[in-house]
Amino acid sequence: MTETLPSSLPLAESTPAPALPADARRRSHTFPPEVVAQIQRMADEGHYEIRGWGAKRHLPTFDDLVFLTASVSRYPLEGYREKCETKTVLGTRYASKPIELDIPITIAGMSFGALSASAKAALGRAASAVGTSTTTGDGGMTEEERAASKLLVYQCLPSRYGFNPKHLRMADAIEVVIGQGAKPGGGGMLLGQKVSQRVADMRTLPPGIDQRSASRHPDWVGPDDLRIKIEELREATGWEKPVYVKLGATRVANDVKLAVAAGADVVVVDGMQGGTGATQDVFIEHAGIPTLAAVRLAAEALREIDMADQVQLIVSGGIRNGADAAKALALGATAVSMGVGPLIALGCNSRTYLQDGVEHDATADYRALGTEPGYCHHMHTGMCPVGISTQDPRLEARLDPEWGTRRVINYLKSVTMELTTLARACGKSNVHNLEPEDLVALTIEAAAMAGVPLAGTNWVPGSSDCR
Amino acid sequence: MCGIVGLHLKNPELYPRLGELLASMLDCMTSRGPDSAGLALYGDDADHQPRMEIFKDVGLPREICERYGVAKRSGYQGIGHTRMATESAVTTEHSHPFAPAENMALVHNGSFSNHASVRRRLESDGIRFVTDNDSEVAARYIAHQVGHGADLGDALRMVLKEMDGFFTLLVTTATQFAVMRDSFACKPAVIAETTDYVAMASEYHALASLPGIGSATVFEPAPEEVYTWTR
Repeated sequence: MTETLPSSLPLAESTPAPALPADARRRSHTFPPEVVAQIQRMADEGHYEIRGWGAKRHLPTFDDLVFLTASVSRYPLEGYREKCETKTVLGTRYASKPIELDIPITIAGMSFGALSASAKAALGRAASAVGTSTTTGDGGMTEEERAASKLLVYQCLPSRYGFNPKHLRMADAIEVVIGQGAKPGGGGMLLGQKVSQRVADMRTLPPGIDQRSASRHPDWVGPDDLRIKIEELREATGWEKPVYVKLGATRVANDVKLAVAAGADVVVVDGMQGGTGATQDVFIEHAGIPTLAAVRLAAEALREIDMADQVQLIVSGGIRNGADAAKALALGATAVSMGVGPLIALGCNSRTYLQDGVEHDATADYRALGTEPGYCHHMHTGMCPVGISTQDPRLEARLDPEWGTRRVINYLKSVTMELTTLARACGKSNVHNLEPEDLVALTIEAAAMAGVPLAGTNWVPGSSDCR
Repeated sequence: MCGIVGLHLKNPELYPRLGELLASMLDCMTSRGPDSAGLALYGDDADHQPRMEIFKDVGLPREICERYGVAKRSGYQGIGHTRMATESAVTTEHSHPFAPAENMALVHNGSFSNHASVRRRLESDGIRFVTDNDSEVAARYIAHQVGHGADLGDALRMVLKEMDGFFTLLVTTATQFAVMRDSFACKPAVIAETTDYVAMASEYHALASLPGIGSATVFEPAPEEVYTWTR
């Protein structure tokens, strides 16, 4: 809502509009048009913005690192003839049945509720086809997802929605969710328009009502009680299944050590670029630390307590391609986890969708949400133009599950090929042999966060060591 | 990058010639490693106990052999190395052989690609390093495994599992002489065996002047195969 001020000098109709002076569109750094629009929206509506996706602001990322690939002092491996191992084992500390993956790339937890049942099943089928795991989410496990996923990680969240011993025993691993990168310190959120009868039944809640999950788990506060919870989960599953602890990246060094002290087999660290189905924009953009900084802190914490060989580290939050995966592995991750990337592969933000074998244009539906393909973060509305983050059967029908599955398989395979391409070029016959010494940084910020030298120097900001 | 040579004598009549034969073999490897050179020589002391001595220095192999009178030394086995430095400094400490444990020596030709991570793991186990050389990591890794009860062959097979990159390794203990190459077997190696000795070198011409070489069994060691000879 803007007010138009009357012009002091009314102009005759025939007079052409005067040219704007050169500084007329001088952009304010503090109040650029998008901030102006946000303030106007808050003034209109009287509450904070809720949206999906992850951080959109500029942040130091893995893009600020590059690999020192092999040349004369080291030798690269041949891409098409020499093997580069990608097998990954998670949960070797206590679990009698650790998770064995063919690739170090997993699908992150995304709830049935946030996503449609068929989207969840498509992700499960794609993950199974490439030999990796997928993860449930707030609200429990669906039959479709369990059937589609060879390896399924079952989340134990503060909300307790859909958490029960039956599904616990049907899972291949358990992920205790303390926090999420998009909203560390906050609970889940599912707006009423996505709380269908089925979603409501699984969560024992009334349909159509906004749902705000707890930000603290009712069974524990702090690591001492978390230890008891983890033991309870292990006993309920005969000490077979790995127990992951997922953290939103904030005080990473302390939290990783405490997760290990509480008995985690695997620690999952989700950086601030991590996605969400719905939360406050202020949370997404202003809480937590970038994934780049989080991975280094987490790896260092595990080394400090001499647990790097026993406890595996999964890193998530803005992982998009094989370069991101390779850099995360080099900095100390055992595996990466992706959410938004596979959703995009599935069709999220695509201009078109495939229904009954015919391609349809969805631009008008994006426009109706006030966005465009490529910019949409309106998962929270349940009005997903391509039928992924919705519970509306009419929209759900827009996702062709087979087509989507194939695309996610293609994506995961491509990411893996990118990862092994970089690893081979660094002379590694196993992607897990990537190391921080293979990297240099392009910015001082990234050098300081990742703990690697600024390119062309041996300077690691904040470190007394020079490499 | 580097040249390696080794000689394990089966016939005691050759013991007095150990230094002379090795010095000549090492000299042949000058072009592969003109930065520094070194040898580990094994002989029996006055009490008939095995004794290993290391001679290494910066410079050409011929100069170093002369400096330490290598040709006059006797013994039952020895290994040598000529170094063309890749990522770490040219100093005596950075030169091969590395001696990570009593009577154990290692020479390496190649380049490890994950030595920083292996070094970190060894350091967290309390292992101390003298240099930032990647070959020292392999030497200390093997010594660590042997120190925990592995025999040399098993320790070398564990190198194949833990260490990435390209390598031909020649490792000796008081009683053993072992050769191993990585799965790519890109770094050259040739072995000659007669009833009198086992000899190993990066290139054949280093073996060509050995006595009786004409009737030796000469072969290229296969990838990922551990070859061990025991005194």
